[in-house]
Amino acid sequence: MAENAQVKASHVQHHFASSDQQFDSAKMGMWVFLFTEIAFFGGLFVAYIIYRTWNPELFTLAATQLSTPLGATNTLVLIASSLTVAMAIRAIQTDKKRQSIILLLSTVGLAMVFMIIKAFEYADKFAKGIAPGAYYTYEGIAHESASVFFSIYYMMTGLHALHVVIGIGILLWMAWKVHRNHFSSEYYTPVEITGLYWHLVDIIWIFLFPLLYLIE
Amino acid sequence: MSSHSHHIIPFRTLVATGIALTILTVLTVGVYYIQFPDPINIIVALSIALVKATLVGAIFMGLYWDNKFNTLILLMAFLFFFVFVGITLLDTLFRDPSIIIY
Repeated sequence: MAENAQVKASHVQHHFASSDQQFDSAKMGMWVFLFTEIAFFGGLFVAYIIYRTWNPELFTLAATQLSTPLGATNTLVLIASSLTVAMAIRAIQTDKKRQSIILLLSTVGLAMVFMIIKAFEYADKFAKGIAPGAYYTYEGIAHESASVFFSIYYMMTGLHALHVVIGIGILLWMAWKVHRNHFSSEYYTPVEITGLYWHLVDIIWIFLFPLLYLIE
Repeated sequence: MSSHSHHIIPFRTLVATGIALTILTVLTVGVYYIQFPDPINIIVALSIALVKATLVGAIFMGLYWDNKFNTLILLMAFLFFFVFVGITLLDTLFRDPSIIIY
């Protein structure tokens, strides 16, 4: 084969025929991982659907405890962070390393804003006694299974927040690797794949926001 | 295939997508304050969420330009989710009332 005669770039592992094949394989592997992530969150969405069909009135009552302005702000923050990470990928594709680092760090900054807003929301609820599961002591919602809504709320937003925290770590790692000249327009697969992960975290929130904050 | 997977998304496309997502977020919150009657509000909110998710998937995640197999993986994930929901609801919606729910 003619391709084998070519000298492979240093980033190409020996079991791949070409850089493109390696890139496509890595990307498909990431999509398979995202499949498992959707299945992972899917279980919680199923729990949400079952409990909402069982207690429709509870969900509308309990959701009044959630701040729609804060939830909407966080939605916009995550959308902005998706835009910055997409632009960071574009920057490294065109060899603008400094711009790529700035955009990756901007994404980290926006992710931290998201977490700070989330922390204020959680703190506000804990102060009222709206804690998960058996620790629920709030009496302001006239429904016998009021704690169920908040257990689902904490599980869904908590698992999502964990993904944001992990995302912050990976984005910082990517910014560091761009800084150390590991990536260029020839090889930027890890940055691209980090972007896919980050966009999925955004998509999960796009569904969580109306389901938790926008019910009346 | 390689020319597809290395597509560089135009700057204007990215910014336009970001603006569209922002407008849709404002729209979904606005619709919430209008307070449509019960089944309609959920349908509207989830339809807007689906459009937003499609925009993120197609443009930001590059599925529009990408190998279509990756789109198939994503669609399969949603298909399995709906199977999960459907089969579970066949149980939980039609239970004997004497069974205590929590």
